[in-house]
Amino acid sequence: MTVVVAHKWAPNPQEATVAPGGTVDLSRAKPAVSEYDPVAIEVGRRLADAWGCELVGVSVGGPEIAAPMARKAALSRGLDRLVVVADERLSGAGATPTAVALAQAVGEVEDVRVVLAGDSSVDEGAHLVPSVLAGLLGWPSLAEVADVTADGGALVVERAQGSGSQVVRVDGPAVLAVAADAAVPRVAGMKDILAAGKKPVVELPLAGELPAQPEVVGRAPVPLAERGRRRIDTTDPDAAARELVAALRADGVL
Amino acid sequence: MTTTWIIVDEPGVAGLLDTARNLGRPTAAVVVGPHELAASTATAGVDRCLWLGETGDAPVEAFATAVAAVVADGAPGVVLAAARPSARALVGAVAATLRAPAMVGAVGVETDGDTVLVEREVLGGIARRTERCDGPVCLVVDGGGVPEPGAAVPVEEVTAEALAVRVVENRPSSAPQVDLAGARRVVAVGRGLKAKEDLALVDRLAEAMGAAVACSRPVAEGSGFLPKDRYVGVSGRTLTPDVYLALGISGQVQHTVGIRGAGTIVAVNTDADAPFMKECDYAVVGDLYTFVPALAAALQS
Ligand SMILES: Cc1cc2nc3c(=O)[nH]c(=O)nc-3n(C[C@H](O)[C@H](O)[C@H](O)COP(=O)(O)OP(=O)(O)OC[C@H]3O[C@@H](n4cnc5c(N)ncnc54)[C@H](O)[C@@H]3O)c2cc1C
Repeated sequence: MTVVVAHKWAPNPQEATVAPGGTVDLSRAKPAVSEYDPVAIEVGRRLADAWGCELVGVSVGGPEIAAPMARKAALSRGLDRLVVVADERLSGAGATPTAVALAQAVGEVEDVRVVLAGDSSVDEGAHLVPSVLAGLLGWPSLAEVADVTADGGALVVERAQGSGSQVVRVDGPAVLAVAADAAVPRVAGMKDILAAGKKPVVELPLAGELPAQPEVVGRAPVPLAERGRRRIDTTDPDAAARELVAALRADGVL
Repeated sequence: MTTTWIIVDEPGVAGLLDTARNLGRPTAAVVVGPHELAASTATAGVDRCLWLGETGDAPVEAFATAVAAVVADGAPGVVLAAARPSARALVGAVAATLRAPAMVGAVGVETDGDTVLVEREVLGGIARRTERCDGPVCLVVDGGGVPEPGAAVPVEEVTAEALAVRVVENRPSSAPQVDLAGARRVVAVGRGLKAKEDLALVDRLAEAMGAAVACSRPVAEGSGFLPKDRYVGVSGRTLTPDVYLALGISGQVQHTVGIRGAGTIVAVNTDADAPFMKECDYAVVGDLYTFVPALAAALQS
């Protein structure tokens, strides 16, 4: 029995610059383990410890994801070992080719009980890779998962449903995207980072053809409304409040 | 000619239907849910309405493979699903079966024969890209409201096998429901708010303003000061109020994409260089703890 966590090495678009023509420059955005993926790794670690089994990370992407820094960043957060598929064709790949490569990596791991993933990636943020992966594996997928436990051979999953929650039982394996607040991820210390360098990593060549990717035929900036950015100083909070109220009344929005 | 497929798991699919109609292709809906959902979908202006039967104690996600089989069999061109977890589970399986691209953020879709042109916002909404797909494509878009009923087409029942998932227990929320989408004025709080008790301050301002209270994601997920259906942004709500007052929210792009369509935006922040200060109409530089009571008082006088 094995717990697998899919995670992404990705840049944060908050640090990107967008040229007037809409071309995105991510060269100053340093990649990292995507914002919410450490939560999935933490949930995975607790499950694997509770079940007394191994926690295997799987990650797919461009060649940079196989670099020692990327491997250690993920391994130091509590994985036992890592399987990566690093290939130029997966750089900036969409949800479907990414999921196809992930399915290949998951297929190399024996006796998988559950695949965990983060809420969504910091760069694409599509919330789609887990469900496409589940579709490829023929397993169910559930998102916004707050808690997972085992009941015999079944998984008992608590997930958000509307503004409340729901408990679901899955017989057999599943792909679960954990909620952003499902756990507080540990902070890797020096010892964890040193130990991470010694953990096993399997690098798989990308097998087979990837599904066709759309061709980019145009780029544009986002047409943002011109906003006034009128500065209101609050040295005198009451005067500032009166100034804002007057301005909003003049705008006709109060 | 290809068919535009609509995946229906909840009543709010008017947004999908609008997109579908603009494509001018035959439309078909595949419905996962109770018969009444299928019956109302059949009156929503689709050419065909396929229903997978009563779901019993299986959640929507249990029908992902069944939905994928139905769509794959129906000459799919564009496949549309709403931006909800359950609908994403279904459309993900469709993309897997068709080995088709699955995308979010579409602002425009056109078809030309089997080619689909999608203009969409990428990387959380920092830029736009137009992409050409030669074959089917799955799009996740805002579901929108409940469609207006019109003439009905027959509901065609299809036998479907559910994956091995069952609902064991529902735990509805006791939090009051707030109509954020319909609110003309919204006051939103971010991590600048230090404690849950301090929400009282915000509530008083909201009351004086006649506004609904929303928040940034960490306030709902993390500190848990407000329910999850109150946060605004790329993973949360998209709102278009007349006025949006952001208190102690830094204004990262994942948040601001949710209120780009707002009328007037006011940002209150101690940090004059916070990103929100560049995406607002009024940049109030100061401490929300002193400014909010002053604003509530000014509104009442
Ligand atoms: C894939 C992905 C999806 C995401 N989706 C969303 C989403 O849908 N919605 C969303 O909101 N976020 C989302 N986020 C998170 C987002 O990136 C930001 O982290 C988040 O919006 C920050 O919330 P915040 O502004 O409340 O907190 P912070 O960034 O911590 O900002 C707090 C602000 O409060 C100010 N402040 C502090 N004290 C005071 C005071 N006393 N008075 C006035 N100002 C004060 C500070 O100067 C600061 O600017 C997402 C992130 C990722 C990776």
